[in-house]
Amino acid sequence: MTGRKRLWGWLADAALILYFVFALFPIAWMAILSLKPADQLFSTYFSFTPTLDAYRTVLGDSEGIPFVRFFVNSLVVSVGAVALSLVVGLPAAYASARWRFKGSENLMFTLLSFRFAPELTVIIPLFVLYQKLGLFDTYVGMVWVLQLITLPLIVWIMRSYFADLTPELEQAALLDGYTRKQAFFRVALPLVKPGIAAVSLLAFIFAWNNFVFPLILTSSQAQTVTVGALSFLGGDRPKYNLTAAAALVSVVPPLLLALTIQRYLVRGLSFGAVKS
Amino acid sequence: MSVSDTLNASARPAAIALRGIHKAYGRRTALDGLELDVAEGEFFCLLGPSGAGKTTTLKTVAGLEQPDSGTVELDGTDMAGVEPYDRGVAMCFESYALYPHRSAYDNLASPLRSPRHRLPASEARDRVGAIAELLGISALLDRPVGALSNGQRQRIALGRVLVRPARAFLLDEPLSHLDAKLRQSMRAELKAIGAVRRTTTLYVTHDSVEALALGDRIGVIRDGRIVQSGTREEIWYRPRDTEVARAFGRPRINLLPGTITDDGRFCAVDGAFELPVAARTAAGTEVLAGVRPRDLALGGEGHELTGTVYVTEVLGRAVEVTVRLGTQHVSLVVPRADATHLRPDDPVRLTVRPENLLLFEADRPERPGRRIGQ
Repeated sequence: MTGRKRLWGWLADAALILYFVFALFPIAWMAILSLKPADQLFSTYFSFTPTLDAYRTVLGDSEGIPFVRFFVNSLVVSVGAVALSLVVGLPAAYASARWRFKGSENLMFTLLSFRFAPELTVIIPLFVLYQKLGLFDTYVGMVWVLQLITLPLIVWIMRSYFADLTPELEQAALLDGYTRKQAFFRVALPLVKPGIAAVSLLAFIFAWNNFVFPLILTSSQAQTVTVGALSFLGGDRPKYNLTAAAALVSVVPPLLLALTIQRYLVRGLSFGAVKS
Repeated sequence: MSVSDTLNASARPAAIALRGIHKAYGRRTALDGLELDVAEGEFFCLLGPSGAGKTTTLKTVAGLEQPDSGTVELDGTDMAGVEPYDRGVAMCFESYALYPHRSAYDNLASPLRSPRHRLPASEARDRVGAIAELLGISALLDRPVGALSNGQRQRIALGRVLVRPARAFLLDEPLSHLDAKLRQSMRAELKAIGAVRRTTTLYVTHDSVEALALGDRIGVIRDGRIVQSGTREEIWYRPRDTEVARAFGRPRINLLPGTITDDGRFCAVDGAFELPVAARTAAGTEVLAGVRPRDLALGGEGHELTGTVYVTEVLGRAVEVTVRLGTQHVSLVVPRADATHLRPDDPVRLTVRPENLLLFEADRPERPGRRIGQ
């Protein structure tokens, strides 16, 4: 009996290790690729002399590709999109959780539908509109279009957080002499902080990783890292080492953010989902 | 002249007046034409089973629920369209509704930091200190409310109500989640608190003992309407119907089915005994005779009945004796000394004073039997 159990334990461990290898191998490959000198990229046997040249080139803006600018663009656009979505979405989530008004369910469903409609279905009209309105290749335009991704996410997740709060807490605040607005800011909002942390991170990652919108709606001024990293593949010979370095650098902000708010994250992601 | 008559006769408008309040949640009716008057400074207990509309009534007074029709008046002013924070009432929620992210102190001080009841910080500190002292929670002020026991939370919730002046206190089952011993001591304390004595209080409970102990007047609520309101004496001695009679007193009132004879007496359904009743009603009417267990005695003055002991149960210093009268059972509560010799099937002689007998119409499926002779 114990022997059989041990065998299953071994098999489970082996399966886990196999999965780790499968999941981590591409990342390791990218890391190695980014550390290789250009002449070892296409060798058919494994030769590896680590060098930081690729990072120097990418971050030094050589090769005529302003990667640092793309990086800053990504930060501005993603942070801006999440911030705007929070400002608009938190009150919207609160209102839709607390009050049923005429058409409220339809409104919420319409908002959600932005999420499951593929971006490609609207990209051509958007492109034309953006050209006409002067939003093409601007921060405002990017923050605006990313609302299609971040706003439904924030409204829908935060709505369930607010719905899980008993309305009696805000009612108590009203009777303590606070206005409805103060009840929202002083009582409801602090209690959903873990949810705000979790949903902000998710929204940031979605905004950061978005590819189609910046691909079509930006060119040199507001282009983000996801599109920018591809620039290294152009030209006479694809510079895989530069692409790999750019990709790894662009993973840093979401990773750092996730690590800093990890404390809220585990609680946040489960708290809203499970009704007590 | 009863207390309620005196109050009604005074010229001042009721502190809280609800007129024909209707409230429905979807298809379910919560309040069905509710009428309620609470006089200035009065401690009014609203008693009813869960789902009767007690909490909805309180929230309607507070302005947290909007009635579908009917008016809410505070001190004679119609409150339609007045926000909860402008009504000047304080409420203690059944769930306590304490702010879980704040300390006990911050919870207590919350009203004193609001724009409506703001006090300078030092005065607020003194005020919170005094209330904490009064409720015996001074040592807990620094703790987060999550770390407090139910009894402590209940005190904090009550403190948050008492900490600032209010036109009326609305208390929603504030003692119901406490254990029996704490509930009893808090009940006595509550009535002794000066602010509670001076301020109009609407108190919701499902516990008839609590209502009798606390209420200057009691309103019995059922299915969204007030069935009867009055002083505890009125409710006890002149219950409007069998359900009100059953709601008060443990053991419950004995309700014995029977009919009225040609000479106006009550005759039990199996003919085993007769009772003299004061109330007049047509001969042959099916009725229920009501007598409270403490109004029956072994021996002594009054109308006599004979039966046999069915069972006895010791309730501390008193004993509940169940006696068989023909096919019916009645229970009575007697001092322990009088019951020590009783054994099942012993013959006993009961007495009841005719003035303690109540007469009700027979219960019908659509409504409980009304008392005859109101």
